[in-house]
Amino acid sequence: MILAFYILGALAIIGGVITTGARNAVHAALGLVGTLLAVAGLFATMNAAFLAATQVIVYAGAIMVLFLFVIMMLNANAPVTAKDPLPFVRELAGIAGTLIAGAFVVIAYTYKDPRPLAEGAADVRGGTAQAVGETLLTRFLLPFEVVSVLLLVAVVGAVALVQRPAPQPDGFGGGAPPASHAGAELEREVQV
Amino acid sequence: MPDWLAAALITLLKSTVVIVALLTGFAYMTLVERVLLGRFQLRYGPNRVGPFALLQPLADAIKSIFKEDINVTLADKLVYTMAPIISVTFALVAFGGIPAGPAHSLFGENPWVYNLDAGLLVLLAMTSMGVYGIFLGGWASGSKYPMLGGLRSSAQMISYELSMGMSLLGVLMLVGSTNFQDIVYWQAHNGWLLLFQGLAFVIFFISAFAETNRAPFDLPEAEQELVAGFLTEYSAIKWALYQMAEYISMFTASAMMVTLFFGGWKGPQLLNAIIPGVSEWPIIWLIVKMAFFVFLFIWVKASILRIRYDQLMRLGWKLLLPLALFNTMLVAFYLAFVGGVQKVPGLYEYHKTGWGLWPLGLLSLLCLLAWLALGDRSRGLFNKAHPVRGEQASVARAGGD
Repeated sequence: MILAFYILGALAIIGGVITTGARNAVHAALGLVGTLLAVAGLFATMNAAFLAATQVIVYAGAIMVLFLFVIMMLNANAPVTAKDPLPFVRELAGIAGTLIAGAFVVIAYTYKDPRPLAEGAADVRGGTAQAVGETLLTRFLLPFEVVSVLLLVAVVGAVALVQRPAPQPDGFGGGAPPASHAGAELEREVQV
Repeated sequence: MPDWLAAALITLLKSTVVIVALLTGFAYMTLVERVLLGRFQLRYGPNRVGPFALLQPLADAIKSIFKEDINVTLADKLVYTMAPIISVTFALVAFGGIPAGPAHSLFGENPWVYNLDAGLLVLLAMTSMGVYGIFLGGWASGSKYPMLGGLRSSAQMISYELSMGMSLLGVLMLVGSTNFQDIVYWQAHNGWLLLFQGLAFVIFFISAFAETNRAPFDLPEAEQELVAGFLTEYSAIKWALYQMAEYISMFTASAMMVTLFFGGWKGPQLLNAIIPGVSEWPIIWLIVKMAFFVFLFIWVKASILRIRYDQLMRLGWKLLLPLALFNTMLVAFYLAFVGGVQKVPGLYEYHKTGWGLWPLGLLSLLCLLAWLALGDRSRGLFNKAHPVRGEQASVARAGGD
C-alpha cells in the first residue's frame, strides 16, 4: 500500500508539473487528467472507492473533456510566447507559491487528528456510497443543498449569457429590428 | 512463494486470459458481423479464407500489422500514438470488473479480475475515460474532419453518459449496492431486474449504442459527412486498435446489460433438475447471454439508419434524460411509500415490505407501453428543431396573428 502511495503521489506531481510547464495547452490539460487519475488512485488506496470513482467520472471523465473541448474549439493550443501583460506577475506568482507551499509544510508538521483513527475509520465504513450519502444528506445537508443552488445559478447564468434574444413576431423586445424577408434569408445563412 | 506474490501472479494470469479472450472475441466478432450483415442484405459475406471464412480474422490481423504505419506530418506525434492505446486500455480495464460466476468457482479462483464495492461506478468511470481516445485521436491528427469527428464524439458520449448513469439509479436504489456480485444475487432471489426496471433498461439500451458509437449513433465516423471521422488519418495497427476498443466496449456494454438487468452469470434454475448445479457454472451463461446482445448490436446496425446529429442531441437531452429522471423519481417514491424488499443482514435473503416489487414492475411496463404508444404523437415535443429566428417571424406574419 505504501508503495502504491509513493508511485501514485509521484504520478500526481509529474502530472502537475506537466500541467504548469507544458507549452501546448492540450498537453497541459492531459497532464491535469493524469493528476486527477493519480489522485483518484490515492483515494482508492485509502479505501475511499466511492470518492475515487466519482473523481474519475466527474472530473476526469466530464469536466476535463469540456476543458479540452474549449481548448480545441478556440484553438488555444498554440504556445504563448508573448510578454506577460502585467509587470512582476512571475515574481508575485513565485512569492505566492512559496507561501502556499510553506503553509502546507506547517500544516503537515503541526496536524493533529481530531479523533482517533480507528473511530474515524469505523464512521466512514470503507467509503461506500451509503456512508458518503448518509453523511452528505444528514450532517452536511445545508451546504450540500446550497452547492446545488449555486450550480443551478451557474447553469442559468450560462444559458442567459449564450442565448439570443427571444424572437418576437412584432419586432418588440427582440433586440434587433424585425428582419425583412431578405434579411431573414441572410440571417439563416449566417446561422448555418 | 509468499501469499501476496501468488495472489498478484494469479491476478496477472487472469487479466492476461481476459485480454486474450477479448481480443480473440474481437477478431471473430468482426467476422461474425460481416457474415451477419451479408445475410441481412441477402448476400454471402466473407466466405473465401479457410472453411466458413474462419481464417479471415487471421488474414486481417496479418494485414493490419504489416501495413505501413503512416505518420501524418501535421500530427502531434505523442498524442497521436497515445490516443488509440488509451482507447483500448480503458476498454480492456472496464471489462475486468464483470463477475462471470460465483466466488471460487473457477479452479478454486474467483472468475473476475477485480471485484470492488463500487464496481458499477468504477465501470462507468472506465467507460467515461474511453472518450479520451477518440477525442484526442481526432485532435492529434492535425486535420479538419478528424477534429470534427472527435468533437462530435465527446459531446455525444458526455450527453449519453448522463442518461446512462441516471437510468441505473433505480437499479441501485432497489438493490442498495453498487457491487456487481450483490446485484446478481439480488436478482437470483427476487427475479431479473428487467421485470421491475423495464423503462430503465430501454433507456440504458439506447444509451449504450450511443456510448459505444454504434449505428444508429455512429456519428463520430459518419462517412458521408466526415470521411471517416476521427479514424481518417489512422492506418494499420493504430486503426485496428480503435476497432478493438469499439468492439470491446460493445462486449462490455452487453455484459453490463446482462449483469444489471438479466440476472448476470446465473443460468436458468430449471436446468438444475437435469444437470445438478448447471446454473452456477461460471463464464458459460454470461457468454450465452452476452451473445444475444452482441447479436442485437449487429441486427440494429443492419436495420436502422444513422440519425442526424441534432436529432441525436435532442433525443439524448430532451427525451432520454427526462425519462431517466422520471424513472428515478418513480422508484424513489415507490420505495418510500409503497413497498420493496429488504435484505436480511449478512445473508443473501430478502423479505418483502409493503406491496413488494411487482406493482413497480407493472408501472414500469405501463410507462414503456405509454412511451411506445405515444411516441409518434409526442415526437414534436423533443424532436422539433428550434425555428430559425427570421423564419419564425415570417411564419408569424404570414399567419396574420
